[in-house]
Amino acid sequence: MRRQLRSRRAPSFPYSYRYRLDDPDEANQNYLADEEEEAEEEARVTVVPKSEEEEEEEEKGEEEEEEKEEEEGQGQPTGNAWWQKLQIMSEYLWDPERRMFLARTGQSWRVMIRPFAHSLNFNFNVSEPDTWQHYVISLNGFLQGYNDSLQEEMNVDCPPGQYFIQDGNEDEDKKACQFKRSFLKNCSGLEDPTFGYSTGQPCILLKMNRIVGFRPELGDPVKVSCKVQRGDENDIRSISYYPESASFDLRYYPYYGKLTHVNYTSPLVAMHFTDVVKNQAVPVQCQLKGKGVINDVINDRFVGRVIFTLNIET
Amino acid sequence: MHQKTPEIYSVELSGTKDIVKTDKGDGKEKYRGLKNNCLELKKKNHKEEFQKELHLDDHKLSNRELEEKYGTDIIMGLSSTRAAELLARDGPNSLTPPKQTPEIVKFLKQMVGGFSILLWVGAFLCWIAYGIQYSSDKSASLNNVYLGCVLGLVVILTGIFAYYQEAKSTNIMSSFNKMIPQQALVIRDSEKKTIPSEQLVVGDIVEVKGGDQIPADIRVLSSQGCRVDNSSLTGESEPQPRSSEFTHENPLETKNICFYSTTCLEASTSPVGTVTGMVINTGDRTIIGHIASLASGVGNEKTPIAIEIEHFVHIVAGVAVSIGILFFIIAVSLKYQVLDSIIFLIGIIVANVPEGLLATVTVTLSLTAKRMAKKNCLVKNLEAVETLGSTSIICSDKTGTLTQNRMTVAHLWFDNQIFVADTSEDHSNQVFDQSSRTWASLSKIITLCNRAEFKPGQENVPIMKKAVIGDASETALLKFSEVILGDVMEIRKRNRKVAEIPFNSTNKFQLSIHETDDPHGKRFLMVMKGAPERILEKCSTIMINGEEHPLDKSTAKTFHTAYMELGGLGERVLGFCHLYLPADEFPETYSFDIDAMNFPTSNLCFVGLLSMIDPPRSTVPDAVTKCRSAGIKVIMVTGDHPITAKAIAKSVGIISANSETVEDIAHRLNIAVEQVNKRDAKAAVVTGMELKDMSSEQLDEILANYQEIVFARTSPQQKLIIVEGCQRQDAVVAVTGDGVNDSPALKKADIGIAMGIAGSDAAKNAADMVLLDDNFASIVTGVEEGRLIFDNLKKTIAYTLTKNIAELCPFLIYIIVGLPLPIGTITILFIDLGTDIIPSIALAYEKAESDIMNRKPRHKNKDRLVNQPLAVYSYLHIGLMQALGAFLVYFTVYAQEGFLPRTLINLRVEWEKDYVNDLEDSYGQEWTRYQREYLEWTGYTAFFVGILVQQIADLIIRKTRRNSIFQQGLFRNKVIWVGITSQIIIGLILSYGLGSVTALSFTMLRAQYWFVAVPHAILIWAYDEVRKLFIRLYPGSWWDKNMYY
Repeated sequence: MRRQLRSRRAPSFPYSYRYRLDDPDEANQNYLADEEEEAEEEARVTVVPKSEEEEEEEEKGEEEEEEKEEEEGQGQPTGNAWWQKLQIMSEYLWDPERRMFLARTGQSWRVMIRPFAHSLNFNFNVSEPDTWQHYVISLNGFLQGYNDSLQEEMNVDCPPGQYFIQDGNEDEDKKACQFKRSFLKNCSGLEDPTFGYSTGQPCILLKMNRIVGFRPELGDPVKVSCKVQRGDENDIRSISYYPESASFDLRYYPYYGKLTHVNYTSPLVAMHFTDVVKNQAVPVQCQLKGKGVINDVINDRFVGRVIFTLNIET
Repeated sequence: MHQKTPEIYSVELSGTKDIVKTDKGDGKEKYRGLKNNCLELKKKNHKEEFQKELHLDDHKLSNRELEEKYGTDIIMGLSSTRAAELLARDGPNSLTPPKQTPEIVKFLKQMVGGFSILLWVGAFLCWIAYGIQYSSDKSASLNNVYLGCVLGLVVILTGIFAYYQEAKSTNIMSSFNKMIPQQALVIRDSEKKTIPSEQLVVGDIVEVKGGDQIPADIRVLSSQGCRVDNSSLTGESEPQPRSSEFTHENPLETKNICFYSTTCLEASTSPVGTVTGMVINTGDRTIIGHIASLASGVGNEKTPIAIEIEHFVHIVAGVAVSIGILFFIIAVSLKYQVLDSIIFLIGIIVANVPEGLLATVTVTLSLTAKRMAKKNCLVKNLEAVETLGSTSIICSDKTGTLTQNRMTVAHLWFDNQIFVADTSEDHSNQVFDQSSRTWASLSKIITLCNRAEFKPGQENVPIMKKAVIGDASETALLKFSEVILGDVMEIRKRNRKVAEIPFNSTNKFQLSIHETDDPHGKRFLMVMKGAPERILEKCSTIMINGEEHPLDKSTAKTFHTAYMELGGLGERVLGFCHLYLPADEFPETYSFDIDAMNFPTSNLCFVGLLSMIDPPRSTVPDAVTKCRSAGIKVIMVTGDHPITAKAIAKSVGIISANSETVEDIAHRLNIAVEQVNKRDAKAAVVTGMELKDMSSEQLDEILANYQEIVFARTSPQQKLIIVEGCQRQDAVVAVTGDGVNDSPALKKADIGIAMGIAGSDAAKNAADMVLLDDNFASIVTGVEEGRLIFDNLKKTIAYTLTKNIAELCPFLIYIIVGLPLPIGTITILFIDLGTDIIPSIALAYEKAESDIMNRKPRHKNKDRLVNQPLAVYSYLHIGLMQALGAFLVYFTVYAQEGFLPRTLINLRVEWEKDYVNDLEDSYGQEWTRYQREYLEWTGYTAFFVGILVQQIADLIIRKTRRNSIFQQGLFRNKVIWVGITSQIIIGLILSYGLGSVTALSFTMLRAQYWFVAVPHAILIWAYDEVRKLFIRLYPGSWWDKNMYY
């Protein structure tokens, strides 16, 4: 996948190419050579420190693996065992399979919401359209790319529940799966052009930050669930999710990068807060739940979750 | 001077022990300088006291008048009540320490000196910035507070370090205090009491025994065989006799005054020599008190290296402030918020200030100081380490520094011939002809007519080191004969002494009569020694080759020629004669009566002459030559007589063999001194008297025009004037000395060097450096080390300055181009105070590139530590290359993470918005704020690693300034490799060990990023090799002038 991305990059990104040519320094050739050597590596590596527990778990896993491999290697000459250890070591440093550096994975769900709200505080007064009009405009603007007509024209309808893998030439344009605005039902803005803001039932869209090459774990798709972060559980009362599965389907993965995957449309989950307590600030935490999803990182509060407050006045 | 010379000559000729008396000619002037100076110094505070000192006439007064004047009684002493009154009036008999700067002030000074003030500004700006942030947003991040604290901590730590180093150097006054004898024997209420000498008051009657220090300035009332060692006060090596007679108008010359802190020598007679005297001055009003205040009144000169560092600090601070303000203005005009602009300003200051450098310099200097201490140069003031290297004039005291401070037999004259004796420290090699029978007789006289004895219990001590009871010349003769003849005491036992007339200044001879061990006849042998002309008067025959010959005019003439010759060498000459008393007239039972003189003292047989000198140390001539070839002028400044001074100067090479003084030329051409063209003379001997009449212009002229100069008969004040004169020539002046009289000059000098063994405590404390083995040659080592450290400091500074550009550029580019910040302020501090410290110290271990002892000393105003080529080359050549290399790593990391360089431009604003949590990169990926921050830290780490890798290359290229690294040897300086290793290890620890501590903003950098800057590092090395190659190929060219630092 990495290979695909890189050979793509050169022709379609003349400036990056020029940058290299312009720099007369030999160091740059070295830099290129470096890249060549890293054939198996990813273009995109984010290193995210995890909580200690997880790290320990992973380390344990490593140890177990090591033990296994050592058992297997017992019959072989010692030189071979050394080689194996070296491999384990280098795998610990950089594991291309799992894309882990020093046993830390760089892959995790990061989510963001729409519309934009300063400091993620949704303050508005239902009876004063001025206070929520900008949310509506923001959402409308954001959803322009999701219009059904556009989606049907540009993108393909691919089978759900599985990765939409497109092998073949790296610099070939990739097709994208449809995600239609109508999937969002009541939050699509089609029936209710104010996305519920005029009735004090705001829609908030959850989208995942795009990561090139990221594939969620197979199995049940990742689900979104929101609840009150602190305070009375019943302040929210009821939430409708659209699509009703409240999940990100596997068919939208992997992402091949904006150079080839031009029309890629990020999947969304709309959260419709239909009966939130009014006239008080309600802190809401929406978490992703599913296999292998991290959602409790302290430093980065957008990993697998998003926290915002709703303060709807009437 | 010419006219004076014969008189001084006669001083020397007149023989053994009466120098003071015949010294009238110049003695009066000898201390005038000192007095004048005291006047100047004391003018404000101690006017009355000084008047008293000026009119000191106690030596002229009779005992009765003294009793009256001081209200005391010579027999009864003072009453305790009166003593207490006086004590209350005059204060204790101790030297008041000079006003000291309180420790806290010294400490605070360190806190605001150098770069500290800049860093404080940075710290306060940080706190102000936080204050502003906090007032607008309560949840403002504490980063700025931390940064401010870190900056403050850096200043305080370096300040404490510097303060600690400074505190180690001791204060001059402590030494003067130490000299005070603890107890004094005083008569009070007609009882002998032992009291602490601090409680002595004027009018007290004290008794001082041989071996004690004189507790105050005292007027001698009665004395028994007392001699005082005034060498530390006047530079005279000979002990001075003290008696109650008034012998000289000048209180400093007269015999009846003993001075505070001088030592009363142990006399050879028993009972031990004692002095009873009346205290006439105490504490600060004593002569030594005046010298002490003279010494402490001399401000400590700033050392050349301190000046250089100050200069360097000014350059760097200038650059930092001007760039900081320039970019503050740019930032504001680019519509950045003022708050942001302030933060940029802090970054620029921190990047520009080499925080670790001053500490590094201190460590470097103390390493050299340690190295020198191993070679017996104890450095008290660290900065003095370098001063010796830039020294261009050494003013050396004679006695004890150039010479051994021990009278030694230098020449013998018998059988009409002058023989040379070995004067080296161990006398091992006596080569003169000992077969002559005259020598046999002479040696007998030397052995027998001598009252000096070895102290018992020194069987295993080498002869030359044995302690002796007796005066200097007798000691010299005793040791001389012991070395040549063996057990002197045994010989004396075999030739029992039956009568003796000890030396006194009226007789000017010493006589003793012995039984002999001659088996042929039991005759008495009378032996006599003394002033040669007096001895000759008493002789009618002279012994030549063991035969007695009548003393006719021609033999008398040869005697005079020899006498003049030896005297002209500045040596003290003694004549020796003997007479075998006829057995019939003086039978074995004859009773000699020394008062009646019932034996002949004329018509004796003259045997020979011996001359003695305080010989130069054997290592000195070589050291002087080395100093010469290192372009250092060696000047002798002594309190001793010009003839002696000149002789020693000639023998150690301060006046070289073929150079002449004006007087020499006049003498050779037989013309008057005035007719000699002064330009012909290379050498000059200037006495204190002449110096006194000179204007400072005339002194400058002498110092500038003569290569070889000897100053004789100088007072402490004049030594100061000479040092100042040298300093007016823009010279860096080193002064060596051992006596109290040298201490003002030692203090005034750019570097004062005291002798560790012979030196007085006052000298040691006024000095910046102490030669533990008293070896003048150690100075040469010091010069070498000093020059090396200067060169190496240049390298250290060049190394340190280089990275400043690489640290500064990120901020400039951040402001102008709007990239995410490439390196954080904390990260910069980790380079400056972490990875770079050990390597920059390692450069201090670098060996010299060429023979540094063959070049001229640096000119203190021209050869700067940090000059333009150094700054330009470090900042604009290597520094910029390094910045490029580091940016390369930075861009590589960002590109591999998804942000191509073009995307980064002007990304700053979006990048730093906390609420943007899906910022798109070049590949359409989206980044939360925290991810970006983490990437930013990775960028810091990458930039840090980029600088680190290139600093390794920088370290290697700084090993030499001119030679190729391969000439110098890549592995000769092992410490460099320790430095490189430490650099890498610290880097690894920071990145991988502390990578998870978010406050430090380091992250675990992937291994391959460490190698991105390696080609750049190699390029730097290659570039510098080319620079050095062209410097070597085209010396003197434009390239050499602009690229050699």
